[in-house]
Amino acid sequence: MASSMKIKAKEKKGVVKVKVMFKSLMADKEEAKKKSIDVDYIAHIIAKANDKVVFEASTSGFMSENPLLKFNFTGAKKGDNLVFVTTDNNGKTDTGKTKIK
Amino acid sequence: MERRKFFGLSAAVLAVAAAPVTSLNAVNFRETNKGVWESEKTASAIKELFGSGGLKKTNKIKFDAPKLAENGGSIPIGLSSKLDIETIALFQDANPRAATVVFSVPEGQKVDYDFRIKMRQTAMVTIVAKTRSGELLTTAKEIDVSIGGCGG
Repeated sequence: MASSMKIKAKEKKGVVKVKVMFKSLMADKEEAKKKSIDVDYIAHIIAKANDKVVFEASTSGFMSENPLLKFNFTGAKKGDNLVFVTTDNNGKTDTGKTKIK
Repeated sequence: MERRKFFGLSAAVLAVAAAPVTSLNAVNFRETNKGVWESEKTASAIKELFGSGGLKKTNKIKFDAPKLAENGGSIPIGLSSKLDIETIALFQDANPRAATVVFSVPEGQKVDYDFRIKMRQTAMVTIVAKTRSGELLTTAKEIDVSIGGCGG
């Protein structure tokens, strides 16, 4: 379901600040039942810069809707590619890419 | 590096006799440790994920959360630490299942995360972190959630 994510990444003095928003209802079993929608949440998020993993999280439906994440990492510079891959509860993956500014 | 991680994890999984390791993706806790995501209470979820080792209270992990959350659907949480942490997880007792998010921190990176969670009632939120030297650290905070989102 998640078909878009907004990614912003900025490098300053070797530290890359990343802000990313995923689009997902993050509906767990109970919530899906209440709203009579399908269970739909992101289960796993991974971010890579230059093929090196810089961020990884396993999540549940108790993250907020359209989860917003902020984190910092080191080891990349301006112009490098930052790739996000999310996996939802059905195993569907989604990829988002940006260039570090 | 991957190999080492994998062995470390499978040892931990075996120790708590949880779900067998079915995936070679060492860090996807969703697949390697399903029990965690089914646990209803913080204590049992921690046991599933980190084993029954002793937890040590710490003030070296900065845990930012509002004392009173006006909107239970979106509570901002901030986690940061200068320690060399391998895994950091957030559990709460407000929802049907305790495990909310588990971060696997890649080697060489520091914990500095901001994110939002849902909570349907006032409850304790517990952070448990495992350092690379195998220590288990914990910190907790109670977050008040005003039902209905009226800030009262």
